[in-house]
Amino acid sequence: MPDLWTEPAGVDTLTDTPPRNGRRLFAALVEDRSARLGLGTIVLVVLAALAAPLVAALVGHGATEQFRETALDASGIPIGLSSGFWLGADGEGRDVLVRTLYGTQISLLVGIPATTLAMVIGTIIGVASGLAGGIFDRVTGQVIDMVLSFPFVVTALSLLALNRGADGRPVVSPIVVVVVIIAAFTWTYFARLSRGLTVTLRSCPFVDAAVTLGAGRRWILFREVLPNVLPVIVVYWAVQLPASIVAEATLSFLGVGIQAPTPSLGNMIADAQRTSLYQVQPWYLLGPAIALFVIVLGFNAFSSGLRNVLDPKGR
Amino acid sequence: MPLLQVENLGVSFRSTPVVHDVSFTVDKARTLGIVGESGSGKSMSLLAATGLLGPGAVVNGRTLFDGTDLVTASPRHLRSIRGRDIGFVFQDPSSNLHPLVPIGRQIGEALTAHHRLDRKTVRRRVIELLDEVGIPRAQERLDDHPVHFSGGMRQRVMIAIALANNPQLVIADEPTTALDATVQASILALLRRLQQDHGMALVLVSHDLAVVSELADDVVVMRSGRVVESGPVDRVYNAPTHSYTVELLEPLAQPVAAPAGPRPERPELVRIENLTKGFRISRKEHRPVLWDIDLRIGEGEIVGLVGESGSGKSTLSRIVTGLDVADTGTVSFRGTSYVASGKRRPVVDPQVRRSIQMVFQDPYGSLNPRRKIAQILAAPFELSTDLPGPQIRRRVGELLESVGLPGDFVDRYPVQLSGGQRQRVAIARALALDPALVVADEPVSALDKTTARQIVELLRSLRDERGTSLLFVSHDLGVVSALCDRVAVLHDGVIVEQGYTDEVFADPAHDYTRTLLGAVPGSTRKETVDA
Repeated sequence: MPDLWTEPAGVDTLTDTPPRNGRRLFAALVEDRSARLGLGTIVLVVLAALAAPLVAALVGHGATEQFRETALDASGIPIGLSSGFWLGADGEGRDVLVRTLYGTQISLLVGIPATTLAMVIGTIIGVASGLAGGIFDRVTGQVIDMVLSFPFVVTALSLLALNRGADGRPVVSPIVVVVVIIAAFTWTYFARLSRGLTVTLRSCPFVDAAVTLGAGRRWILFREVLPNVLPVIVVYWAVQLPASIVAEATLSFLGVGIQAPTPSLGNMIADAQRTSLYQVQPWYLLGPAIALFVIVLGFNAFSSGLRNVLDPKGR
Repeated sequence: MPLLQVENLGVSFRSTPVVHDVSFTVDKARTLGIVGESGSGKSMSLLAATGLLGPGAVVNGRTLFDGTDLVTASPRHLRSIRGRDIGFVFQDPSSNLHPLVPIGRQIGEALTAHHRLDRKTVRRRVIELLDEVGIPRAQERLDDHPVHFSGGMRQRVMIAIALANNPQLVIADEPTTALDATVQASILALLRRLQQDHGMALVLVSHDLAVVSELADDVVVMRSGRVVESGPVDRVYNAPTHSYTVELLEPLAQPVAAPAGPRPERPELVRIENLTKGFRISRKEHRPVLWDIDLRIGEGEIVGLVGESGSGKSTLSRIVTGLDVADTGTVSFRGTSYVASGKRRPVVDPQVRRSIQMVFQDPYGSLNPRRKIAQILAAPFELSTDLPGPQIRRRVGELLESVGLPGDFVDRYPVQLSGGQRQRVAIARALALDPALVVADEPVSALDKTTARQIVELLRSLRDERGTSLLFVSHDLGVVSALCDRVAVLHDGVIVEQGYTDEVFADPAHDYTRTLLGAVPGSTRKETVDA
């Protein structure tokens, strides 16, 4: 059925261009419904995370301060929503709202660097092996397969267990370790994606045309291949970011990521679940859970909008 | 009463009309051809007429088939008609056959979908059908998967499925477009024989009026979703009334009368000697693609390279352009060898490299989608000259003008250009460094006929005005005969014949050349319409 998927006659579909400069890219993003929703959510999340100290000052509760007198009732059950504790308290008498905001901060502080690090490493390795081909390509392929075959949680657990000095305190800041571990597992996805794209692009006629014009490897890499790989990779960054945030939450939930009493969305959810106190104080669980949900939703919506906007074939 | 009567059919998607007011009729045991370029709405009309369009389409008008209106019929009713009373053959047999199911079962399913039959009967009938569509040793091949069949054989399997229930009407949508010329000829012959044997009606959709004219009694010409002309094929073919039909009928290139006297002596530009090339499939197997190729291209000469898919045309043109390496043999440019054989990557002297440029088949893949036309056309100058920016911009403007494109195209991206415009940009890029030889690999096969004609003329004018030599790779013998001074016929990696085009075509020395020439559609056109 040859005609079905070609453009209908007389309909001019050739007016959309891939946006290049920042202002036009932003305008196009605002116009895309999904990108607008995602961007708005992300801005709100970032503002909320930044506002954590302000809120803490406003309500007068620090993230790790315990208010056993006011926030727990006589039998030690945390109070629910109240004028002092807007999202109630947790089992130790700490303010859930303040902790959720600080937890969001940690999530972004871990997720964004981890994903970016993975993107940079993965893209360099992927594009290089796609362009080089031969033995280098085969070896990286094997390495990627090997890395992917490691179970994430088990490997992360054992690596984090090593990060303890003689006094039982972590040698390196746990945030850094969590970032490195997440990046170490995520770069493979970027590498596979960019390698595949590069291999396809390398056999494109426009690359052959550049070769016949005398282009060297540098030209082919920077003028022909990278401009076509990067937009896809950037979209994938936004796709991968929520996964990294969830990975951080998973590690913290298992008690090996961000260490108590520092709040993270993961260890807050874990606490709420372990103590079963969410049955009497649902916001203990709902606070961090909703925050995690909104973050993931925002970045997912943004990535799908970004993909629409960056696709040169138009919408 | 006609078998199929389409009245005032209209199709629109999201309130954008794509087919307007199409009417035609097909009588019992007659053949109707529908002709038009891609996007003209010919397939769309047929799909709408047979109720095959999805829920996104709004269909108006009526399609009466044997007294039933197919546009308003219930899905259940339609299912009982399709495959039993109407059989379908589509363009690409490889994507329309299930790759994991043996062909015998796929044909059998067409039978059991409409009739209760026991296994023995089904098997007997499937063998009958395979025999009928000309698949040899039908009994042994029942359990083979589609991958074991060539493109032409797969199309025969598709035809067997369409015929399974002795339909009154068979709809064949571009049934030979994905096939080579010689295979196309055999499939068309098969369709014609089956149509006569079974007395069924046939609707043949094609972009090629010549293909349609071989089989059809009547023809409908469509453009931009409308019928522009219809009538008996002889009348339309011999005395077309609409300018568009005239355009469709015109050959891609007008032959230029050879100057009288002896043929011009042309100094040698490129010479290929004893060239062989193969690909290693596995440790043991080595498949030869080109074998002992000898070819010479003179200064200012247009050489045609013809052959079917898989004959090695593209590999040879890539080696000549220095994109690939030969296993053995030499390619020399003005007497100096420039393609070293046996290396992993080609190493070509920069001077020679810029003197040989290529125009690719796919106008969509040959321009980097992320770069503006200005950047694409500036690349040759940036890579090979020291020209300052303003001078490069001026040269880019001149290039655009030389291929007949407006200067403001520099700010556009390739997506904003049509296929023909892109091919012009690709040609402009190839010309930027004033090459001595342009290798054009099927440069017009992805383009509409009108556009293709302009591109062919553009290529010819390059030789006439700049003295550029051209290696024109094509499967279209019509263009080659009109455009090329000399021609080489490539068959299974061997040049079976080469010589001056007029001589080779007038008196082919090799059997394969004769087969190719005989397979040109339109050469066995239905001469008379039986009354």
